[in-house]
Amino acid sequence: MMNKKSILSTMDPNTVSGVGRVFALLLICVAMGFVSPVFFTARNISLIITNASIMAILGVGLTITVITCGPDLSVGSILTITAVVAVIMVKANFHFLVSFAVALLMGTALGFLNGVLVTKVGLPSFISTYGLQWALFGFAYVILKGYVIYNFDADFRFIGNGYLIGPISMPIVVMVIVVFLGWFILRKTTIGRMFYATGANRDAARMSGIDTGKAILLAFSISGFLSALAGIVLVARINACQADIGKNLLLPSLATVYMGGTRATGGQGGVFGTLVGAVIMTVVENGMNLLGVPSVWRNAIIGTLIILTVLANIAVSKQLEKAGSKM
Amino acid sequence: MILHKSIVRKIQPVFWVTLLLMIVFNFFSSRFLSLHNIINLFQQGAVLLIVAAASTLVILSEGLDLSLGSVLTLAGITSVMSVNSGAPVSVAIGIGILTGLLCGAITGTLISIFNMQPFIATLGIQGVYYGISLVLTDSVAILTKNKTFIFFGSRIGYLPMAALIGVGTFLLILYIFHNTPFGRYIVAIGGNESGTRLSGVNTRFWKWFLYTFAGGVTGFAGVLLASRLEAADPIVGVGWEFDAIAATILGGTSFQKGKGGVAGTALGVLLITVVRNGLNVIRTPSILQPALIGTILIIAIVIQVGLSMRSTQKEGKNRP
Repeated sequence: MMNKKSILSTMDPNTVSGVGRVFALLLICVAMGFVSPVFFTARNISLIITNASIMAILGVGLTITVITCGPDLSVGSILTITAVVAVIMVKANFHFLVSFAVALLMGTALGFLNGVLVTKVGLPSFISTYGLQWALFGFAYVILKGYVIYNFDADFRFIGNGYLIGPISMPIVVMVIVVFLGWFILRKTTIGRMFYATGANRDAARMSGIDTGKAILLAFSISGFLSALAGIVLVARINACQADIGKNLLLPSLATVYMGGTRATGGQGGVFGTLVGAVIMTVVENGMNLLGVPSVWRNAIIGTLIILTVLANIAVSKQLEKAGSKM
Repeated sequence: MILHKSIVRKIQPVFWVTLLLMIVFNFFSSRFLSLHNIINLFQQGAVLLIVAAASTLVILSEGLDLSLGSVLTLAGITSVMSVNSGAPVSVAIGIGILTGLLCGAITGTLISIFNMQPFIATLGIQGVYYGISLVLTDSVAILTKNKTFIFFGSRIGYLPMAALIGVGTFLLILYIFHNTPFGRYIVAIGGNESGTRLSGVNTRFWKWFLYTFAGGVTGFAGVLLASRLEAADPIVGVGWEFDAIAATILGGTSFQKGKGGVAGTALGVLLITVVRNGLNVIRTPSILQPALIGTILIIAIVIQVGLSMRSTQKEGKNRP
């Protein structure tokens, strides 16, 4: 008992909860393996990681905004509107790279708009981003008028359903690049330090000479860019796009971030946790499918998961603070 | 004094914009300002008036409730289900309110006992309540033909029942806000929570009570909505929480330091209802409406917040 405590207190608190998280993932996987015999097949595992990639790409953007200022609740709607624009352009015979570029630019611009609403207008991020999503979903609906656009060229689809080598699909490659860049920006650059400082205490950061407005604008722009990227990968993967494609993505991707140990109050967290969170989230969804849980239960289960993980995070951080003060 | 001077100054632009919109809508369709449509306007605004009042109370405490739309939905469903299974109407209404109270109590527990941030707790619980709504109805709307139940939301000649109930409930909330310790504690908690606690108020209990109260009130609004629509739809409440927040902000309530009041919210509700009703009356294609309304609300909020920030800057308050 004594021994355990002293090990805990000598280790970095974030490492402790990080190891715990991976352990939890393994535990869930083993449980799933017992429940469903097909869970540990190579096909299912490759499927899970590929599915997790969309959540992870969105999750990295969300992680950065949560760390800096507050979650970007418009990720699902930015994903939708940019994906709609991309598929419309590619159907109008634009080169697929042009449509990608326009979608990514548009996502960044919308993210920048979110940042402006927070920094210049002074709205709390959870009100402005939550409000913006209704307008964006509305516009996606206006453009598509309820139709589904499907069947894209192989070039366009490669980023979603292609394979680099063996079982490593393109979404996994994109995810690895995004997570690596996210880690690099947050941990190895001054911009990253700006994000953490702004999130930990905005007034203190401003007074010590950090341009907090710039940090927030940048964080939301990154999140908008990544939402557009996730949208491209998603429509390329499922080979179809409709006006509600991103409607059910906000809750799970937010759950992903909090499961990854990023503190809801800002200033703490990282993208590797989010990656693990995305895999946990996908395993849970995959498990619900394999177990034949009716789709009407999905929202209830994911909502409960968000609440439980945030509660667990609060409990863990309290516990760690206690351990820290005893040292 | 129900409307403080500073709020009157703040909501003046909203008032003028509403008036202007009414004139414009009437220009496009003379039916807009007919007595028939004005009564309709009040019928349509009644439910939002109640939900927005609840939302205003929560925002005054420096909180936020994103689950109100889902509580509205769930309460409508439980009440319609009970009236369809043969329960007396009074019991069905009671069940709807109880559903709201229970939802609010859970939300309140998460926020006040477990110290979760309001927007995460209410966003997560929103998923749960919508999930339960979908499970209960199996994703299809339930209709009701019970004459007594739909009487409360109906319109009998020139007598708009829903509007009367909505305005009555709003006035009751206004009275509670201005004349009970509960109302004063809300503002005090929003202004300075730890200060309020140190002066001997059980802030934890009152915060819990606030979310429970907001849930109960919204549950009642859900029953009223189901009664007006003669049905309970599992997605009917999607986005209502944002309309309620928008009405609150447009009504001059600030999301910081408990400034504002319930009375101004009525004007915000009027603006939103005029926009929604007006776009219908002048026959805007229904496909365009969500995008238009969303954009109009965002712009209106930006203008409102921008103007009030400028006025606080002039007074030289709060800005370093």
